[in-house]
Amino acid sequence: MAVSFKPIQPLLQTGTNAASRWFSYIGLGVGVLLLLCSIQMFINIQQLLKEGSIRKNGFDYISITKSVTNETMGQPEKNLFSQVELDELKAQPFIEDVSPLLPNDFRVKLSAGSVLAFSTDMFLETLDNDFIDTLPPSFTWQEGQYNIPIILSSDFFEIYNVFAPGQGLPQISRETAMGIPVQIICEGNGLTETFTGKIVAFSDRVNSVLVPKNFLLWSNKTFGKGANVQASRVFVKTKDANNTELLKFVDQKNYKLNKDKTLLGRNKMVIQGIFSGLGIFGLLVVLLALMLFSFYLQLVIARSKDSLQLLLTLGYSPSWLSRNVARIFVPVYIVVVIAALAFTQLMQWSFHHFVMYDREELSTPLHWVTLLTAVVLIVLSIITNHRLVRSLLNKLHTN
Amino acid sequence: MQLTISNLLPVYFEKSRTQTSEVWGKEIVWQKGELIKIVAPSGSGKSSLINFLYGMRKDFDGAIRYDQQDIRNMNPEQLAPLRKDHVSIVFQDLRLFPHQTVAENLEIKRQLNPFHSPEKVLEMTERLGIGTKMNSLAKTCSYGEQQRVAIIRALLQPFDFLLLDEPFSHLDDRNSQNAMQLILEEAKARNASIVLADLERIEFFPYTRLFHL
Repeated sequence: MAVSFKPIQPLLQTGTNAASRWFSYIGLGVGVLLLLCSIQMFINIQQLLKEGSIRKNGFDYISITKSVTNETMGQPEKNLFSQVELDELKAQPFIEDVSPLLPNDFRVKLSAGSVLAFSTDMFLETLDNDFIDTLPPSFTWQEGQYNIPIILSSDFFEIYNVFAPGQGLPQISRETAMGIPVQIICEGNGLTETFTGKIVAFSDRVNSVLVPKNFLLWSNKTFGKGANVQASRVFVKTKDANNTELLKFVDQKNYKLNKDKTLLGRNKMVIQGIFSGLGIFGLLVVLLALMLFSFYLQLVIARSKDSLQLLLTLGYSPSWLSRNVARIFVPVYIVVVIAALAFTQLMQWSFHHFVMYDREELSTPLHWVTLLTAVVLIVLSIITNHRLVRSLLNKLHTN
Repeated sequence: MQLTISNLLPVYFEKSRTQTSEVWGKEIVWQKGELIKIVAPSGSGKSSLINFLYGMRKDFDGAIRYDQQDIRNMNPEQLAPLRKDHVSIVFQDLRLFPHQTVAENLEIKRQLNPFHSPEKVLEMTERLGIGTKMNSLAKTCSYGEQQRVAIIRALLQPFDFLLLDEPFSHLDDRNSQNAMQLILEEAKARNASIVLADLERIEFFPYTRLFHL
């Protein structure tokens, strides 16, 4: 027959100091609630900010420039990226790859030829193919070829359509633009060469006029001044454009990012900071509550000392006794944590429904990490409680 | 089970005690079934001896062994089964739970390793004249009644040795003899040994071995 704890329970004076007991229960509940809410909100922010940037193969591509200030104006070398700086960028753990946007080093003129009376000085740039969001197979060039494929920034194209009517030029569709051959006139070193450019794609990512890399390298050599061409813009490939480490690094280097893509990230940094703080505060409250509870437990055991000592004298085993004494409080821990979990769920539902208007990135049920934390908290409190009771009882025995 | 006492002496006693005592500093073996009487005047260490034998205190030199197990080396976890299954005790200061009823006091001990049914417990209380006290709080009982409760409590478990420390100090002759009779019957049923320590000879204890402490 198993030994029953029922006749033993009245020997424990748990009724004493009800106030301190209830304070510790409430404290524990508030602490756990703060902790769980912080974790859930932290996860919500992660999920919300994972979206909202142009991604290719799960990566973000953002351009970095140096800030041109009054001090660095007129000193191009200070506003260009050196090889050392490129290597440094590449070495950062949060940056997967780096590609400089190399510009032309000679004069380029664009004209629509006989189709449109439009001619302008312009620039060409090139970027590693891997960094281009819309890369058609025709984006290649071989020496001797007069046809140059071009990838044009969507933004530039839109700007053309905005100012075209004012200039007496026709507005054109993307399809038409891709059908119109333009003349690209390269001048330098006493040479002039006319190529036929053709828009093969529009890019939402790169604000530039892109040509195949080997063409630009060849033309820089042919028409350029022969100097080593350095980039003033660099594209980086990263897992998360909103990575706070990346933003910190960029700030520290005084570089500039295209803002809109990282605006969320900057907010994320602040909001995550707030919730981390709140989470730490919650953890502290949990610790305080557990401490208060341990004082209460010590008080209970001290008050019941004579009875517990007598039970050990009569032949009750210390481990059986501590297990059963600790077990009295297990339902309390479970109820407190589950109540906090229920409140967290309510908070999550309200946040998702009323604040986020049921956005798809979020889910109304709590994230599994939050649930796991709740379970871990229950297990931890039960284990610490059990160990505390056992050590207190062992002390009784040796007294 | 046998109980071996080797060169036992409380650390706070002088060595010279071993010359006058028949227990301190001696080599003694007690077997199951023996009825041992220890006559111990005040201050001779009677309660110390009982406490040492029950593993309550360890401030002694020498050794106490139940079979091969040295009580000094037993941790609280190992002491529990010894007290539950092999060695029972009636303390001089009784040690009941004052705020529990007599019935609860007895049940707390009985359920640990039941040797008797609850009906048998009731019968024993009636036999010692405390049957009507079952629902009274222990603290409201007289010393004599409490002593009888403590005696019955010690008889509710199996044991090889029953340690009695002045078990009849609050009882009159008739009640003492009554209780003694019950104790003898219970010891016999278990083929157990009784170690009775008292200030003077108790005529109604049919001891088989006598020691002067």
